[in-house]
Amino acid sequence: MELRAYIARRLLLLIPVLFGVTVFIFAITMFFSPTERATLYVTSPQGMRDLPSIIEQYGLDRPFFVQYGTWLNQVFHGNLGWSNVVSMPVGRAIFHYLPATLELAIFATPIIILTGIFFGSRAAAHKDKPVDHATRVVAILGWSLPTFWLGLLLMMIFYGYFRGLLPPGRLSSAMEIMVTSGDFIRYTRINTLDAILNLNGPVLLDALRHLILPVITISTVNVAFIMRLMRSSMLESLGKGYILTARAKGVQEKLVISKHARRNALIPVITVSGYLFAALAGGAVITETIFSFKGMGWWASQSALRLDISSVLGFALFMAVMFVLVNLVVDILYTRVDPRVRLGGGVQ
Amino acid sequence: MKDLIKIRDLAVRFYTYEGIVYAIDDLDLEIRQGETLGIVGETGSGKTMTALAILRLIPYPGKIESGSILFFDKSIDQELELLKLRDDRMRSIRGNRISMVFQEPGAALNPVYTIGDQISEVFLLHRRRELAQRAKQRLDSLLSDGNGLAAGVKRPFWGWQRRIYDKIAKESHAFEPRLLGRLPLFRRLLWRMGYEAKLLTVDMLKDVEIPDAARVAVQYPHQLSGGMKQRAVIAMALACSPELLIADEPTTSLDVTIQAQMLELFRRIKVDKGASILFITHNLGVASEVCDRVAVMYAGRLCEVAPVGEMFVHPLHPYTKALLNAVPMPGKKLETIPGVLADALNPPPGCRFHPRCPSAMPICGQERAKLKEVSKDHMVACHLY
Repeated sequence: MELRAYIARRLLLLIPVLFGVTVFIFAITMFFSPTERATLYVTSPQGMRDLPSIIEQYGLDRPFFVQYGTWLNQVFHGNLGWSNVVSMPVGRAIFHYLPATLELAIFATPIIILTGIFFGSRAAAHKDKPVDHATRVVAILGWSLPTFWLGLLLMMIFYGYFRGLLPPGRLSSAMEIMVTSGDFIRYTRINTLDAILNLNGPVLLDALRHLILPVITISTVNVAFIMRLMRSSMLESLGKGYILTARAKGVQEKLVISKHARRNALIPVITVSGYLFAALAGGAVITETIFSFKGMGWWASQSALRLDISSVLGFALFMAVMFVLVNLVVDILYTRVDPRVRLGGGVQ
Repeated sequence: MKDLIKIRDLAVRFYTYEGIVYAIDDLDLEIRQGETLGIVGETGSGKTMTALAILRLIPYPGKIESGSILFFDKSIDQELELLKLRDDRMRSIRGNRISMVFQEPGAALNPVYTIGDQISEVFLLHRRRELAQRAKQRLDSLLSDGNGLAAGVKRPFWGWQRRIYDKIAKESHAFEPRLLGRLPLFRRLLWRMGYEAKLLTVDMLKDVEIPDAARVAVQYPHQLSGGMKQRAVIAMALACSPELLIADEPTTSLDVTIQAQMLELFRRIKVDKGASILFITHNLGVASEVCDRVAVMYAGRLCEVAPVGEMFVHPLHPYTKALLNAVPMPGKKLETIPGVLADALNPPPGCRFHPRCPSAMPICGQERAKLKEVSKDHMVACHLY
């Protein structure tokens, strides 16, 4: 099986990637002196006296590779360290915060990609016509709106002005209680999915109600990017010889666009879409913070702000795995769209 | 016999930011039935634009400004004004009655579809009724021959399919099949038409001398050589036995041995199919090989039209003479035409060739020479005659 061998090879590639990423981040933390790093574990002025013993206990003054080796050894034993920010092990923190982020990403990515492709190809098909200009203006507007401003504005309107129509958070408190009760099985911790699996209508509706604003915020900013990429890629494809051939064959203009041009234009969009999903799965810091939709982004930013090194390392590990996996999926998708790409061989 | 295509006073202009480009200026030309007409000229002389104008595919920002292109429709014994035809009528002519082969076979084929898909698309566009008829016949034989349990189970389904294909065969856009074609999954129930189209495609590929046609049909363009690709493109253009085949420098991007094979193929097409061919080339040798008549274009205007023998033996227009003189020959010093091609944005007044013409007269810079017949079938636009 060609495909299976290819996937195996790509997964093996994870090892050097993860090694590089962790060494790099670990090395950055070494710019802090052992004392500075030890103070992170101190909670009161009296505790300052314990600094030498903390350094001694965690081996903070030992050579870089020894410290890295210790950490790596712990990782192999399934221990990613303790996340000070949220007071739980890093591994658990990832599983705790990932579902919220994934939920956002799962809802936002298709919206972003589909609207981006749709409007992008329309704009290209009607180049320099009103549709094109309108799309471009909207795209630039969305792209240049600061996320925090858009988020706050939406919140002001739909939570403030409309008296709590679309509230922040992931669930309203009544539903939160229902979800945490014994009757509701949390299969994935992705509320919408769990609600569907539990056949629970109210929870589903409530979860969706909380999702609308953050998804709109993320989408508005990112749609512009896909749209413009799709437009330029589509324009390039529309200028190719095979489009003229298709027209000379008597193909309807609608099919020229949707069959002959779009499939070729999709190739660069697939690459970017993959990275978009990976980036969104890494958390949208500002959006998550504004809508108190606590996910990976929120956790990672808090950890970084409070110099929670083990959390940051855990997050970096997670992101690296994520990107490699997404890359793999993108490469496999390529072969479905472009017959010139063969697995492992590249474009002929 | 009526001319297949009659172009009168055709003007094509491009409205660019720098100004108006006069790509084709008052062109009069006819293509007779069953002949191969060559158009020769330098790059930018408007050869390709003439071809695209016939198909009404002038790219943006170009526009057909005025003129008429009459297409003689044998089946109704009437001349159609292509420039005034409704868009859907025009589409039913493209690829069906008039088709085109482009210069770069690599660029002309869509890289993400198989050769078979791309050729059968032509059949599916223009030969729906015929395909449905064939599918119906196949179902008929299935219904009469099919024995055993499997056939018994499928029989009602085959009957239903036969009814649908019958409807398409009678009226290619009947309501029921059209509805079926719109529905995402049900669309697949009409697969038999695609299958018949594939069979026709393989025949077509064999017809243009592609070895192993069935295998080539499922291959993608990048898996074929340049010559094979060009053959596939020609097969695509010939699929619906067009009355006019426009070949836009079909041999330019191929090596010489493949070129010779390709010219042989064009000659055979003309004899076998009785199609007229509009052969665009800048290679005079190629033109002399395949064409019956040759038209010489310069900067969007016609200089001279003559039967091929006449043109090469008694060229009249100074530009034609210069072109023939510039053909490289062993043992002869390479001649060039002095000057550069007329600027299409600001064409010189009068005859566009006069700044480069060795026998220019004062009148050449003031007045444009009309195309006039100097001997039988030999037309020239020059003040000398």
